[in-house]
Amino acid sequence: MTEANGKKIGRRDLLARIGQAGATIAGCGLASYLLYDPTGPEARSETKDLATLPDFSVPRKAGQTISIVRGQDRIKTVDKAIELLGGIERFVKPGDVVAIKPNVAFASPPILGATANPQLVAEVVRLCYSGGKAKKVIVTDNPINDPTSCFTLSGVGKAASEAGADVVLPKPHLFQRTTLADGKLIRNWPIFFGPFEKADKLIGIAPVKHHHRAGASMSMKNWYGLLGGRRNIFHQDINTIIAELSMMVKPTLVILDGTEVMMTNGPTGGSVSDLRRANTLIASTDCVAADSYGCTLLGLAASDLAYLAQAEKAGAGTTDYESLKPAMATIS
Amino acid sequence: MSSVPAPARRLESAVSICLLAILILVAAGVLLKQADVDMSRFGMDPVAAGVVEAKPAPLTAQGEISLTALLPQGFKKLSESEFYDPENLYEKINGKAPLYTESGFQSLLTERFASTQDESLWMELFIYDMANLRNAFSVYSRQRRADVEILPDTQFAYRTGNGLYFVHGKYYIELVGSSESPELSVPMSQTAEQIRTELAIDKDEHIVELTFFPQEGLVAGGNRLYLASAFGFKDLTNIFTAGYKLRDWTITAFIGRRLDANDARKMAESYHRFLIENGGAAKPTTDESFKDWQGRVVDFYGTTEIVFAVGPFVAGIHEADDRQAAEQLAAVLAGKLAESAKAIRQ
Repeated sequence: MTEANGKKIGRRDLLARIGQAGATIAGCGLASYLLYDPTGPEARSETKDLATLPDFSVPRKAGQTISIVRGQDRIKTVDKAIELLGGIERFVKPGDVVAIKPNVAFASPPILGATANPQLVAEVVRLCYSGGKAKKVIVTDNPINDPTSCFTLSGVGKAASEAGADVVLPKPHLFQRTTLADGKLIRNWPIFFGPFEKADKLIGIAPVKHHHRAGASMSMKNWYGLLGGRRNIFHQDINTIIAELSMMVKPTLVILDGTEVMMTNGPTGGSVSDLRRANTLIASTDCVAADSYGCTLLGLAASDLAYLAQAEKAGAGTTDYESLKPAMATIS
Repeated sequence: MSSVPAPARRLESAVSICLLAILILVAAGVLLKQADVDMSRFGMDPVAAGVVEAKPAPLTAQGEISLTALLPQGFKKLSESEFYDPENLYEKINGKAPLYTESGFQSLLTERFASTQDESLWMELFIYDMANLRNAFSVYSRQRRADVEILPDTQFAYRTGNGLYFVHGKYYIELVGSSESPELSVPMSQTAEQIRTELAIDKDEHIVELTFFPQEGLVAGGNRLYLASAFGFKDLTNIFTAGYKLRDWTITAFIGRRLDANDARKMAESYHRFLIENGGAAKPTTDESFKDWQGRVVDFYGTTEIVFAVGPFVAGIHEADDRQAAEQLAAVLAGKLAESAKAIRQ
């Protein structure tokens, strides 16, 4: 064999070159094998500057963890439900800044029941000011659709403003990253943090809805609105993300509106025919208990929703709402 | 050993070392970057993952329809039109998106129209491009509400208190009103009519399976199409169902067309096996004529399931409360399918 310059290559030289080339190829193969990651990359792992939502919960009181009130008029039922838990004064102290997080996920009209009822939101704002002597009430959400359209077309923006609340729409600077301790999905993920950072209390307001992916959307799923980024990725593991949200958010109170329940085609619905009048409103300091009762309005048992068991196991609340001895009332 | 002069060898070595160093830097950069991926920014991209095809141009861009032409009399645009593809459909309908994306969804065009007299009266138009008639019918049928007004002038259409829903070729269309006001229902009908006129479709597309269901006792507008995982069995695909009201019983019949008779027989067997493995108990058939079709009857937690194969069709009865009524309907269905199978062979 000869080189390009015409000089002959000796057998030993040839073998040495073959050996070097072979070693290089083998080295590349070994390096590729060692570097191969069959599971793909994980989310960012740095932990600096992570935000943590404050714990907004209030001390528990036996027999005043969950109330269930039946009646058609949301204003009367929510007043009664909160009264049964000890009154708004138990939850809101004079001078408090209260953040209310209604479900305003969609730019749809109130009659569809896909978003929190505007009159109900307004009444809770009013209660915070009048009974609780709150300094400021913020109404906010990070909707799925365009935020301005959502707050306008759902009627929540106008109702909340007229009741004296500051309506806060999501802006990029209001998001910060968080990591949920022991969380599998919420790891270094942007959340809608700004409006809650300096709040003293947090109240969630959600309608009871069928949900095509999760089975039901209620008070725990309502916290999905706090997630930023490309949160649709979590639909692949919807039960875990809802359970983790219930671990991440420790609200003062949740109000679950089952006055009209979206029985089918949730979470957006699209027709009044999707709704059934159940005339029930639930208030609770325990999201898991509230949703465990709320799902019965959809004809489901708590055991039908995997996220409830996961949240209970993680210590976010109890699915055995009866053990909490719900305070019950009916408003004629 | 080597005949290359020493200076040249040193130059070769230096160049080689430089090239290797660059490659190592590139590899290190790739490693660092992939370890730092931010799922909240990039998340799931079905297009990149090859789950769906790249997004088509909006209907308006394709010149297929002018939204301005759809404005009903006395209405104005309330917002800009919005366009969604499989990647971002969740931004519009959130958890309902999989219902569409798993049924061949291509794109969604939406637009809101408000009354010029009263802005609180508005409607939102949704035009879902589902790629073909069957897909459009599937999402339409699976969301169809109970107790609705069936619209007689269109094959798949109904109206509820605040909305109008219909299939137009490969499009599934919703018109959702902000109230139940009659002042919205007439403009909705106008817009629907305009769509049927303006939006071109393949008029040769038909769903032939729907004609195979016996007519006696059939609940009007009660057909559904499950493209995948019908009745919880993942292999049972492209299954049409029909609701029947027979005496006091409500019964669901189903039909699915397979590749050939052999494929249909295998599917009937595997569905029967699925039912038994999940707690069903095989029962003898009591209807003599039904025995001709080698139908299998299963008691499934107090309800009756029947499955059989006729020609290229797998068919049966699902969750019937009364076994006798279920077997009678199954026998009629099998007879009808036998005629259809014969016609197909000819």
